[in-house]
Amino acid sequence: MKNSEYEYRLEMTGISKSFGVVSVLKNVNLKVKKGEIHALLGENGAGKSTLIKILSGVHQKDSGSVVLDGTEITPKNTHQGQILGINVVYQELSLVNDLSVAENIYLHKLGANKTWMNWKGLIQDAQELLDSLGFKIDASVKVKQLSIVQKQVVEIAKAISEDTKVLVLDEPTTVFDPNDIQKLFKILFKLKAQGVSIIYISHHLDEVFTIADAVTVLRDGVDTGSMPIAETDKDGVIRLMIGRELKDLYPKRDVKIGDVPVFEVKNLTAKDTMVHNVSFNVKPGEVLGIAGLGGSGRTETAKLIFGADKKKSGTLILEGEEIKTNSPVDAAGYQIGFVSEDRKEEGVFLPLSIRRNISVTSFDSISSKLGFINIEHEYKKVLNLIEKLNIKTPNSEVDVKNLSGGNQQKVALAKWLSIDSKVIFIDEPTRGVDVGAKIEIYNLINEVAKKGVGVVVISSDMPEIMGISDRILVMHEGTLYGELKKEQFSEENILRYSIGEPLKAI
Amino acid sequence: MALTLKQQLSSPGGILKFLVKYNTIFIFILLVIFSALISDVFFTSVNLSNLLKQVSGIGIISIGMLIVILTGGIDLSVGSMVALLAVTFAILINIFIAPVAILLTIAIGFGLGSISGYLVAYQKMAPFVATLALMTIARGMGFIYSKGSPVTFTTVGGQFMSDFANNSTLGIPNIAIVFFLIVIMAMVMLRYNVFGRLIIAIGSNEEASRLSGIKVNKYKFLVYAISGALAATAAIIVASRTNLGSPNMGMAWELDAIAAVVIGGASLNGGRGTAINTLMGVLILGLIGNILNLLNVPSYPQQVVKGAIIIFAVLLQRFESK
Ligand SMILES: Nc1ncnc2c1ncn2[C@@H]1O[C@H](COP(=O)(O)OP(=O)(O)OP(=O)(O)O)[C@@H](O)[C@H]1O
Ligand SMILES: [Mg+2]
Repeated sequence: MKNSEYEYRLEMTGISKSFGVVSVLKNVNLKVKKGEIHALLGENGAGKSTLIKILSGVHQKDSGSVVLDGTEITPKNTHQGQILGINVVYQELSLVNDLSVAENIYLHKLGANKTWMNWKGLIQDAQELLDSLGFKIDASVKVKQLSIVQKQVVEIAKAISEDTKVLVLDEPTTVFDPNDIQKLFKILFKLKAQGVSIIYISHHLDEVFTIADAVTVLRDGVDTGSMPIAETDKDGVIRLMIGRELKDLYPKRDVKIGDVPVFEVKNLTAKDTMVHNVSFNVKPGEVLGIAGLGGSGRTETAKLIFGADKKKSGTLILEGEEIKTNSPVDAAGYQIGFVSEDRKEEGVFLPLSIRRNISVTSFDSISSKLGFINIEHEYKKVLNLIEKLNIKTPNSEVDVKNLSGGNQQKVALAKWLSIDSKVIFIDEPTRGVDVGAKIEIYNLINEVAKKGVGVVVISSDMPEIMGISDRILVMHEGTLYGELKKEQFSEENILRYSIGEPLKAI
Repeated sequence: MALTLKQQLSSPGGILKFLVKYNTIFIFILLVIFSALISDVFFTSVNLSNLLKQVSGIGIISIGMLIVILTGGIDLSVGSMVALLAVTFAILINIFIAPVAILLTIAIGFGLGSISGYLVAYQKMAPFVATLALMTIARGMGFIYSKGSPVTFTTVGGQFMSDFANNSTLGIPNIAIVFFLIVIMAMVMLRYNVFGRLIIAIGSNEEASRLSGIKVNKYKFLVYAISGALAATAAIIVASRTNLGSPNMGMAWELDAIAAVVIGGASLNGGRGTAINTLMGVLILGLIGNILNLLNVPSYPQQVVKGAIIIFAVLLQRFESK
């Protein structure tokens, strides 16, 4: 191979694509050098994932050309893409839940040249691969037993192989804590040194400016710019992304926080997870952040309170009265809300329309006693939310599976934020959401808090959790390790508590 | 998509897409035209009303099957339930006045369906297994209660039911009217009622439903109970048509019902399917049988054709979902 002959390893030129009458990509160019980390940026629905899916063979382009190492390629399916050396970690997880980690990692290679598999060898190979990536995951367990962070790591492991020429990561870090992100970066730098070209999609500009060599920005299906990373800055790419300046990512709040907690948890311990002795309270109007490393038990705590996991002991007190939440039905009955971090499996109904998704929690307010739905009312409510959250869609009847990832996230949020709650738990509220839309979501969270709701936000995004919380609790190994007041907020303090260390004395 | 008909037709590949989207109605219309061309008996009122009478029983259990399938389940017990409940109804109509016999039979159907519902929703048994067991039990009980031979209607109430089932109102057979009313009710419930919305939500993502605070178990239980009640309604109709309840009734009807639902474009994984399309599925299956009968095709080749139609319809739908 004389790759060095060509200036670019990958050249996508003049790519156009429409779905039905909706034109999603218009004459887009993307050029990536050998051993380059190339960031692909753009708002939700700009067309990033679609461009990648054309590269890998999921979708077929309407026009344009894709040239890899000087040869034009037209993969008809992902298998052909993989043979050409294009491996993708898609935005949505696509693992087979009932197979083991090892089988998932080698799924596309199973049965490729041998009729009989060496299962022991398979698990060993997978284990070595995972260990080399620096994540602790048992290759022999079934995927359904993994946390969402671990699933994401398995997806990454799956995409890495000796003959990868182009590796694409579509928002790989949305569920990662800073530690995990550092590990991922190490892996990427290693691959880069081996000459792999990496396309990196993310809404976290900090990440992009840490690792990328070059950047291409899309807006509404058009590429608005492409340059070496050194020639631009955050404001520069934001301008290219949204066409205007962005001020105050974290909106000012003037919510009066109540004195008497609306919700209190005492000594909560789980039956099946490591969550133990969790006690905290949240006041009306307060935004309470829960930080911690992945696997520290944040999601599990929320699920425990919501009745999705089984409790061993502990007391919940809502507005001064003790309540029992043995199931999500109980919790919802007490007007406790929960937005899951895993939108595909637990948040949205992919085959159903936006309207049907959003109204699933709010039938009490839009239907008669006998359960007949006031359709006009329903439309009004849903269209209002679509506008408010700026969900990019032609209308409310589009199936959620046809929305971009970030817009799916907004649907998952709308479902809960549009109904009256007393306490609401939001796990990774802006997972996969672009910078502009984040502001809309923060505004909505504030609006909800203003009504006197206690809002509990779980987030791995440090600037976010510091930007929107009034108080932050930090979890470590299944329990609350420390509490930070607004004036104590700093990445260092959160990290110290996260790893179980006291704060530095001042 | 809220595109107008005109936009759909004018977009590239529009006509094809349109045909694919409404393929069940399209196949149905084609079949009607084909039948009318091929046989001059087809468009006679006798033949049409016979056709409707023939499909009404299976049609009613197909609606029950649809709502079960929408939740991602399946109900294999409905055919045997028709037999057991037809026998039950024949026994009851000889004891009680008609309204009481009807209500009791439907209540028993609901109760039997509740057993499947309980096993699936609360004992987490696989729907296939739970209803397979119920299927065998119901068939056996039908034979036990009837002592193996048909139970004939002997009372005035029985006569009344038989008259009702064999007569027509405004040219439409009464039992077909019952079937159509059930279809309309199902349409309304699935489109405009919370019940329908929630079972579709459960079928399309059970975990997300649970975490949305939906009473998943309650609804999963209910669909089997309702399917049982609809099996009872079908049983009353078929027994009344023939003036008797026989343990051999409803043989393999569950398969026809599943076929009708699938031809109607529903997904066996749950979450997708409509009552109107199931109605089309029922009519298509009935029509095929009817034409082949008119053409004097023997019953074994008929089965082959039916099977081929199922494959064709499902292939069309796969094209649609792309
Ligand atoms: N299969 C499809 N059918 C119809 N429309 C689609 C389909 N897939 C994507 N779209 C539309 O194409 C547009 C671009 O989507 P895409 O997923 O590429 O966005 P994205 O840039 O990856 O956004 P995000 O940051 O939210 O992931 C969106 O408006 C989306 O609704
Ligand atoms: Mg995307």
